[in-house]
Amino acid sequence: MDSKFLDQLTELLEMETPVKPADKFRDYENWDSLAYLSLISFVDEEYGIVIPRDDFGKMNTVQDIIDFIKNNS
Amino acid sequence: MVTGASSGIGRQTAISCSKAGARVILLGRDASRLEETLSAMDNPEIHLMYALDLVQFEEVSAMVEEAAHKMGPFHGLVNAAGISTTLPLKLLSAEKMDHFFKTNVHTTIQLTRFFTRHSDKQSGASIVFLASVMGMAGEMGKTIYSLTKGALISGVRSLALELAPRNIRVNAVSPGVVLTPMSQNAIYSQDEESLNRVKSLHPLGLGKPEDVANACIFLLSDAAGWITGTNLVVDGGYTAR
Repeated sequence: MDSKFLDQLTELLEMETPVKPADKFRDYENWDSLAYLSLISFVDEEYGIVIPRDDFGKMNTVQDIIDFIKNNS
Repeated sequence: MVTGASSGIGRQTAISCSKAGARVILLGRDASRLEETLSAMDNPEIHLMYALDLVQFEEVSAMVEEAAHKMGPFHGLVNAAGISTTLPLKLLSAEKMDHFFKTNVHTTIQLTRFFTRHSDKQSGASIVFLASVMGMAGEMGKTIYSLTKGALISGVRSLALELAPRNIRVNAVSPGVVLTPMSQNAIYSQDEESLNRVKSLHPLGLGKPEDVANACIFLLSDAAGWITGTNLVVDGGYTAR
């Protein structure tokens, strides 16, 4: 799941370089409300998991998102 | 005839129709949830229910023929079944678009086509399409939902003109956010901050299924006998700004 998710996230967020697990996603230059909506919608569509905003607020890295998906699948 | 009668606005509309004295044909996908609706209705023994998927058009056509035989001619149809989502442009695949248009638009038109074969030619009939304020206004991530609901609002006008000579009225109802299973599963309902933002956009607060069902009852009734081709907005003030 990890490498596929990283590829999908790279495309979803229109990143010029591949997303890495240790990246702090809020530091991405194009991180904005649309990027947030895209990520939340994507995880919901792809994995059937809605990430509550409170939980999302505690996430800092891409790995945190991956862990949340794994723990809630 | 009420679609989406197994939950939310469709369920409440079926219940309200029964309390207004109607015999109702309930349509929905889940038989056990249709039974729950039926048990909340007045005189449950006089109504009909069919559990089926509205995208199975041949099955739907056969169901309408059978229902017409048992309960026809028809006087009212409420197209309440539908789906919603929040998806940004980059996730709007062709498959997703097809699925939404088939579920929210094609099913309503096909059922309406079958329904009008058996509408009451003497006293007339009234058809209501459940649209949405999202067919009139925008929100981030609501493009696909807005497209389908806007299609219904547009289609209602031409259908009204086409069916007026047959004494059939056609109208849309556009609700704001109503507290239903569909809205409670939406992304904006998953945390308090987002939900409070949505609430703040509705000056009268979020709606109840009864608020929308009442509008449907009005449009179905003779009290709306000179109303056709319109879109009745029931949104607690969402579009008043």
